[in-house]
Amino acid sequence: MRGLRQVTAVELKLIMRDPMSAFFALAFPALMLAVKMRSGRPLPGGLPAIDATVPMLSVFVIGLAGLVVLPATLAQYRERRVLKRLRATPASSTMLFGSQWIAHMLLAVLGTALLIVIGLAFFGLAAPANPGGVVLAWVLGALSLSSIGLLLGALVPSGRGATVIGLSLFFPMVFLSGAMIPRETMSGSMRAIGDLTPMAPAVQAIRDGWAGDATSPLTLGVMVAISVIAGGVAVKAFRW
Amino acid sequence: MTVIEIDGLRKSYKTHEAVRGVSLKVEKGEIFGIAGPNGAGKTTVVECATGLRRPDGGTLRVLGLDPRSDRRALLQRVGVQLQEAALPDAIKVEEALRMYASFYDKPADWRELMDEWGLADRRRAGFASLSGGWKQRLFIALALVGDPEVVFLDELTTGLDPSARRTTWGLIRAMRERGVTVVLVTHFMDEAEALCDRIAIIDEGRVAAEGTPSRLIIEGRSDSLENAYFALTGKEMA
Repeated sequence: MRGLRQVTAVELKLIMRDPMSAFFALAFPALMLAVKMRSGRPLPGGLPAIDATVPMLSVFVIGLAGLVVLPATLAQYRERRVLKRLRATPASSTMLFGSQWIAHMLLAVLGTALLIVIGLAFFGLAAPANPGGVVLAWVLGALSLSSIGLLLGALVPSGRGATVIGLSLFFPMVFLSGAMIPRETMSGSMRAIGDLTPMAPAVQAIRDGWAGDATSPLTLGVMVAISVIAGGVAVKAFRW
Repeated sequence: MTVIEIDGLRKSYKTHEAVRGVSLKVEKGEIFGIAGPNGAGKTTVVECATGLRRPDGGTLRVLGLDPRSDRRALLQRVGVQLQEAALPDAIKVEEALRMYASFYDKPADWRELMDEWGLADRRRAGFASLSGGWKQRLFIALALVGDPEVVFLDELTTGLDPSARRTTWGLIRAMRERGVTVVLVTHFMDEAEALCDRIAIIDEGRVAAEGTPSRLIIEGRSDSLENAYFALTGKEMA
């Protein structure tokens, strides 16, 4: 436990010291929120824009932390032999990867909290209708996207390579899945493509929880399945 | 007392046979040198002895433990400094020491180690900002932070300037005085001669010669270990 706490704390500090990851996971989504709210007309159907935008951008933050920063960290650690040095200690691999995962998810928590605080303070964000549903959806979204990130981190040999692949998965997904553009305003064909991305169920479930709509068990099940499959393959495929 | 016993160790990689039957014994409290040219198989021996690689053949016992099946128990008692290993760029000296200390059941006092190895003034310096000599000091401190009985140091002084190298030698002798058994891997024969109680010269995956530095010099009918090395391995001087 001491190891887990130590490594998590150090990793979180290291992430925050990296100007790129801190900017894109914390400042950039907050700026995007402010920009979107300048022209924040209610969505078709009458939902205030802020009540859709904060849940949407929280998935942007999860995706950035889990799909871009996490694999880049792991691949860079392998490339630079940071992992090899750690392997020559009695620290367990479960503890080391658990800490990495928790640290990156804490980055996503911070980014999400920042969005919520800004939403509440400046844009009249409504409290989630189903807080338990939001938390469950957020956690499953984080698990599923970061397990894909772990898989990338397990397979890609260099940090730069992992960043490039992570970003090239991340950007199409955030545009098509409704994490940046509300699904209500997207064309049917865009939405159909977006629904095939692993980010779509996270957007759907977090927005449902916030609005108080029922989330289909299928949406949650898809996220569980992605987590189990991608996470399982990542653990098997991992090289130090 | 024998702390490391390696018998008939063999290890091949895809394209070549790195270690072809190495047998060694390291006694408690000595500085044991594993010397030899680049690519001789020295690092592979260390990586097998610390459980980082699975040997193809032979037996290994370190502190009476099998490095593969008892890996974590062994690593509680063994410190390692790996060739070309690194830390994250932004990690601070004190963070690295505190974090590594948390991996061990009975760690050394990392603050004391930081003082002892002269790192206290640089405690808040990031890893990437340290010069080669300071990085090596940090690596040594990290190898000692678990309060180990045996320390493996792989190419510790490669890339250091002569004065940093001499300082490091003093630090390694200080380790022996604490009762730690040191296995020093090096391709510098002057270093092996200056530091080691006994040396195994490894060449092309085999032990070419083994003994105290003075014995190897006599065997090689030479005036220095470096010349003895050329005589014993039959290598040409470039």
